Amino acid sequence: MDGPLAAQVATQEDPVTHQTITASQKAKRKAGDGKASRIWLPLAGGVLFFVLWELQIFHRIFDLKTYQLPLPSAIGTTLVKNFDLLVNYAGYTLTEAVLGMLIGSALGFAVALIAAIWPRWGSGGVMIVASLNAVPIVALAPIMNLWFGADIGSRIAIVAFTTMAAMAINAHKGMKMIDPLALDLMHSYAATKFEVFRYVRITSSLPFVFTALKINTTASMIGAIVGEFFFASRGLGYLLSNSIKVAKMPLGWSCIVIAAAAGVLFYLVVERLEKVFIKWHPSQRA
Amino acid sequence: MTESTAALVPEIELEQISMQYPAAFSDVLALQDVSLSIAKGEFVSLLGPSGCGKTTLLRIMADLIQPTGGRIEVAGKSAKEARLAQRYGIVFQNPVLYDWRKVKQNITLPLELKGVKKSEREARAMELLELVGLQKFADQYPWQLSGGMQQRVAIARALAMEPEILLMDEPFSALDEFSRERLNEELLSIWSKVGNTIVFVTHNISEAVFLSDRVFVLSPHPGRLSAVAEISLPRPRTKEMRNSEAFFRLIAQIRDSFEGV
Repeated sequence: MDGPLAAQVATQEDPVTHQTITASQKAKRKAGDGKASRIWLPLAGGVLFFVLWELQIFHRIFDLKTYQLPLPSAIGTTLVKNFDLLVNYAGYTLTEAVLGMLIGSALGFAVALIAAIWPRWGSGGVMIVASLNAVPIVALAPIMNLWFGADIGSRIAIVAFTTMAAMAINAHKGMKMIDPLALDLMHSYAATKFEVFRYVRITSSLPFVFTALKINTTASMIGAIVGEFFFASRGLGYLLSNSIKVAKMPLGWSCIVIAAAAGVLFYLVVERLEKVFIKWHPSQRA
Repeated sequence: MTESTAALVPEIELEQISMQYPAAFSDVLALQDVSLSIAKGEFVSLLGPSGCGKTTLLRIMADLIQPTGGRIEVAGKSAKEARLAQRYGIVFQNPVLYDWRKVKQNITLPLELKGVKKSEREARAMELLELVGLQKFADQYPWQLSGGMQQRVAIARALAMEPEILLMDEPFSALDEFSRERLNEELLSIWSKVGNTIVFVTHNISEAVFLSDRVFVLSPHPGRLSAVAEISLPRPRTKEMRNSEAFFRLIAQIRDSFEGV
């Protein structure tokens, strides 16, 4: 009951692994069969939606004129005509959103870290950040404009403000939600408080950090666009608000389409990073 | 009780250990005046139903909690000194492996914390994985392994610092009966190579009998030491012994000691 037994035990358990592989293969095959319903059905639904829109069925149902809700063809034409401008502005707005989101999330994470290391002082910090989050952008914009000027800086500040809380609250929870036995284990290794953070708490918080980042991608687009409503001279929000003011509805709708596309792109990038950084987490396992 | 061997080189000594947990209406006495001595290289079990304080007792030995009364000495030192000097390895009911570290890296963690060089700690990890028969799985993630394999990784990790004492808190209770028996045999084979002192907490009588030199029987409300059973089965223990008359007699004897409580 020494060496050979150990080897025997290892091989005995192999069939179990094989079994799970075949089970997952079966699941994959099943998913392959459902390709038609997964891809073609939603696509057909989408096409139908646009056809009903183009044929003004929605206009009749909701009693709308085409200047109130432009037709997809009109939006499309305007979008193509102004494509360079729209892409340029989208880049500007995305820059604000991304930079603001990175700064805001970093600050939020720092608050969470401080709150987790020194709970007596830090928990109040999370509360303060949460209350800052309740300040509406409409109130924030003039103040940030006064502080950072009408240029890109004020929008970055607005976005940073509005993305801090989601990160602080989520990351703080992730750092605190640790299996008590995992902490006992570190205690048995005589690990210091900082080693516990380095080896356990920070990594454990990563799934929560990515949840916050995903929330913050959309929040940062909203922050950047709404921030541009007030004092900007460039960007999708600026163009959107000005187009609607002068009743250039198709151009306004093009801005919405491009903003949505940029938002989705931003979200997908973060989701991709999540797959790379926390591939060990149950939510990411194949 | 082998007073003779226990008196020779005591590795763990408990004197009148008590543990009182504060509670809403009346304080709960989890342990009352437990005194016992465990010899160097001995394999002992703490056996009892839930609520008898066996896990509490193990956690006191591990310096994860402090008793409210009594004195404890581990390897000639206080429990805290023994912990800081990494004199014991610990295995919990769950494997408690870090999902983001590969199997090998989970085992090297305690060595990393002690500042052991990378090449050295990786070599040690491979040695330990071979000991528990999992060298093929070094670069897998823990969640890719079965429950029994994960618990073997936890044992390998507990042995990483070459501890004199191995503290095990119901390590196999989450496994099915077949895996449990197999791991019992494997644990004995590891113990015969490593030769350290093992304190094994369990609520399974046959497991305690099969593994141990001595079984400390604890009874609940309040948790106290009610009997000590000497397991005279020869070593090495084999699968076949599980069907022997002596084995069944020992189980019956321990079960009777519970009836008397």
